[in-house]
Amino acid sequence: MLQPDLPKIEFGASWYEESVSIDFPSSLYAESILTEFSVDACFQPLPNWQSWPESKVLTVALGQPLPKTIGFSFPESPHWVKKVEPQPKSNQPDALAKSPRIAESDEQKDAPKQTPKLTRLRPPGDLVSLEDRLYYVLQPPLETIVQSAELTFPFQPFPYQMEGIAFLFPRAAAVLADEMGLGKTMQAITTIRMLLLSNELSDVLLICPKPLVTNWVREFRQWAPEIPVAVIEGDAHRRQFIWSNPQAPVKIANYELMMRDREQIDNGNLDFDLVVLDEAQRIKNRNSTTSEIVRSIPRKRSWALTGTPIENSTEDLVSIFEFLSPGYLNDDMHLKSLGKATRDYVLRRTKDKVLTDMPPKLFRAADLDLTPEQRLSYKAAEEEGVVQLNDLGESVTIQHVFELVLRLKQICNFDPLTGASAKYERLEADLEEIAASGQKAIVFSQWVETLDILGERLAKYNPLQYSGRIPSSKRDGVIDQFKNDPKTKIILMSYGAGAVGLNLQFCHYVFLFDRWWNPAVEDQAINRAHRLGVKQAVTVTRMMSTETIEERIHNVLEEKRELFQSLFAEAGVPRSMGLSQKEIFGLFGLSIPAVKRAA
Amino acid sequence: MDSQQKQQIQIGFLTVRKHASLGFVGGLLVLNGLARPVEFHCTLPVMPTKAQQLLYGATLDEFVAGEQIGRALLAKAKARPQIVLTDTLAALSVRHLVDSPIAAIDSSWSKNEATLTYPQPSHEAWHRLSVEGYKLLTMHEFASDSKQLESFLGSLSIDIVEPFGRIEGALMEAHPATKAA
Repeated sequence: MLQPDLPKIEFGASWYEESVSIDFPSSLYAESILTEFSVDACFQPLPNWQSWPESKVLTVALGQPLPKTIGFSFPESPHWVKKVEPQPKSNQPDALAKSPRIAESDEQKDAPKQTPKLTRLRPPGDLVSLEDRLYYVLQPPLETIVQSAELTFPFQPFPYQMEGIAFLFPRAAAVLADEMGLGKTMQAITTIRMLLLSNELSDVLLICPKPLVTNWVREFRQWAPEIPVAVIEGDAHRRQFIWSNPQAPVKIANYELMMRDREQIDNGNLDFDLVVLDEAQRIKNRNSTTSEIVRSIPRKRSWALTGTPIENSTEDLVSIFEFLSPGYLNDDMHLKSLGKATRDYVLRRTKDKVLTDMPPKLFRAADLDLTPEQRLSYKAAEEEGVVQLNDLGESVTIQHVFELVLRLKQICNFDPLTGASAKYERLEADLEEIAASGQKAIVFSQWVETLDILGERLAKYNPLQYSGRIPSSKRDGVIDQFKNDPKTKIILMSYGAGAVGLNLQFCHYVFLFDRWWNPAVEDQAINRAHRLGVKQAVTVTRMMSTETIEERIHNVLEEKRELFQSLFAEAGVPRSMGLSQKEIFGLFGLSIPAVKRAA
Repeated sequence: MDSQQKQQIQIGFLTVRKHASLGFVGGLLVLNGLARPVEFHCTLPVMPTKAQQLLYGATLDEFVAGEQIGRALLAKAKARPQIVLTDTLAALSVRHLVDSPIAAIDSSWSKNEATLTYPQPSHEAWHRLSVEGYKLLTMHEFASDSKQLESFLGSLSIDIVEPFGRIEGALMEAHPATKAA
C-alpha cells in the first residue's frame, strides 16, 4: 500500500498497468473527486478491461492525521470594566468645556464617518515567550477597548498619543521621551488607567518634581476620574500611613521627599507594580542620593517620562536606564550601539513630526544694544572681573567665573546704578501692543530679583509672579488667576519654577528676558505656551544684549546645538546643549587651570 | 445586551493562509462579545503531499483549509463558539463537520501581505447575505445559517473584520518565517 507521505507517485506505465484503489477515509471531497475521476477524458476506461486478469490493488491513503496545533487560552483576559462611574460633567474644570479639541470634535460631528485608525498593542522586543507575546498581539485595538469599556476622555486623544499608550502598555521598562507639550502626562495616566482597570496593576507610584504634584493630581482627575490618587505629603506620621495605604492604587510622591522617607522605602514593606518617574532627567546624576533611593524602590515595572533624556551627555540616558534596567547600558557604549540598544525602550516624537497642523513657534531675536548707562557699568565690571580672575592664577575656580558671568548678565538686564534697561524698554513696547489686542504674555527670567523689578514697573498690566518664592499651595491659584482674570496681562516666571509641567496654551507670547544656560530648559519654558490645544502661533522673543557675555554664550550654545543636531539626527535622541567647564572658562579667554584639569 | 452578557458570548474567527514555501497555516481566535480574546489556536505549517495535490486537484485548498486545518482548530477549542466567521472562503467547507453556523466575510483584513495568500475555493456557489453592513457568504447547503447569523450579529456591535488582523499578527509571531522580508 502506498503511504501518503511517500515522496512522490510516478504516473508511469508500470504504475498505470495496475489498478488503483484509493482510500479517502471520511473525506468529503473524495466523493467528488471520484466522480470527476470517472468522467475525466484522461482517465477513460481502457478497452476490454473487464476481460483483464484480476489486477493487483494499490491503495493511496490521502486522509492525513489532522495538523498539529498550538494553543493558548486567556482565562484572565482583561475585562476593562470601570468600577466607579466618572464624576458628573459639572464637576469638570471649566477649561475642559472650552477645550479646543472638544470644539474641534463638535465641528467634526457632521463630517462623513471614516474608518477609525486602529492602534494595536505590540509586544516589546524583550518578551520572549510566545504565549506572552500572543497575549498582547491578540488584544483588541486600543480604540475598541476604550469604546467597549466606556472610557471617557476630556478630548479625543491624537493618534500618536494612542501609539504612546500602546507603547507603554506592555512594557516593563520604557522611556517616553516625547518633546514637551505632546502630552506625556496624559499618555502615562491613560495607560495606568487601562492597566489598573484590567487588573494588571494595583499599586502605582509616581514621582515628580514637587511643583508638579498638583498638576499631576489635576491631570488624573481629568483623564482618570475613577482612579483614587493619594499624594504623599504631610508630617512623617501621615506620610507613613499614605505610603502603606492600599486604598489608593496611585500614589504621588516628589523627588525632594525621597531622602526624608528613605526609611519607608528601605523597610521592605513596599512593592509597587509600577514606578513612574516624571522629569526623569532628575536622576541623571546616578551617584546622587535621590537617584540611589529611587533605584532602590521595589517594583515590577519602571517607566521614565522626560522631554530631555539627554541634557548634557549620553551619560544622562545611561543613568535613566540604571533605573529601568540596571547594567543594560554603560558609559563606554558608542552612540550607534546606544541607539540600537535603546530603540525598543525609548519612544520619542517631536511636534514637527506628529503635529503637522499645530500652529508654529515664531522666534524673534531681540538683539539689543545696551543703554549707555548699562554699557558703562558693563565695561567696568568686565574689566575688573577679568583682572581679578587673572590675578587668581591657578587658584581660579569655575565658581569665580560663574560669579562674573552672573554679574555681567544682571547688568545686561538692568543697570545697577540707574536701573536703565534696553530689554525693559523693548518689553514694555511689545507688551503695550499685546495687551491692547487682548492677549497675554509670559516673561521668563532666571532671577527673582529681575522679576520683582519687572513686576513693579509693569504694574499697569497687573502682573503675577510664579517663582520659587511662591508657596506650592498657592501656585495653582496664580495660574488660575492668570488664565481667568482679564485684567492680568502678564505672568512673570522663573525658569526654575515655571519651565515644566504647566499648561498655558491660551497664552501666545513668550519673552525670554534673559537666557538660561541650557536651551533645553528654554525650550521647556517656551512649550508651556506652545503645546497641545494652542490655537494660534506662539511668538517667542529671545532678548539678548549684543557685544556682551550673553552674545558669547549664545554663540557657543548655537554651535553646540548644530553639532548635536547633526550627531543625534539618526539616533533620534534630542540634542545635548549645556556649557562645559572648558567653555565657561573660555568665555573670558581663560583656560582651565592645570590642577582643575587633573581633578 | 450588557457587559456581563457580552462576556458570555463566544465567537470564533478562523483564518487560513498559504505561504509559498511553508505551506498552509491556520489560526482560530475565540473572542467574547466585548472583543476580548478567550482562546487562540494555530496550526503548524501544513504541506500537502504530492498525492493530495494530484488527486484533490482544484479542491485541494478547500480540503486543507476546511477539512484539515479548520477541523483541527475547531476540535482543539475548549470554548464552543456560537458562530464562526472566516475570511477564507476555502475554509467554509468545515461547516460540513461542525454544528456551528459559519460565514465568510466578503472582505478581508489585509490582502496585501506579500508572503501570505488566501487559499481559493473551487466554486462560487454561495448564499449571500448582508448583516450590519457586512457582506457574508454561507454554504448553499446551510442557507439556514443565515437567520442565526443575522440574529446573533445583529445583537452585537463589534467589528468582525478587525480580529483577523490580530490573527495575522499572531500567525507571524508563531511562524516568524512567514513575515515579509
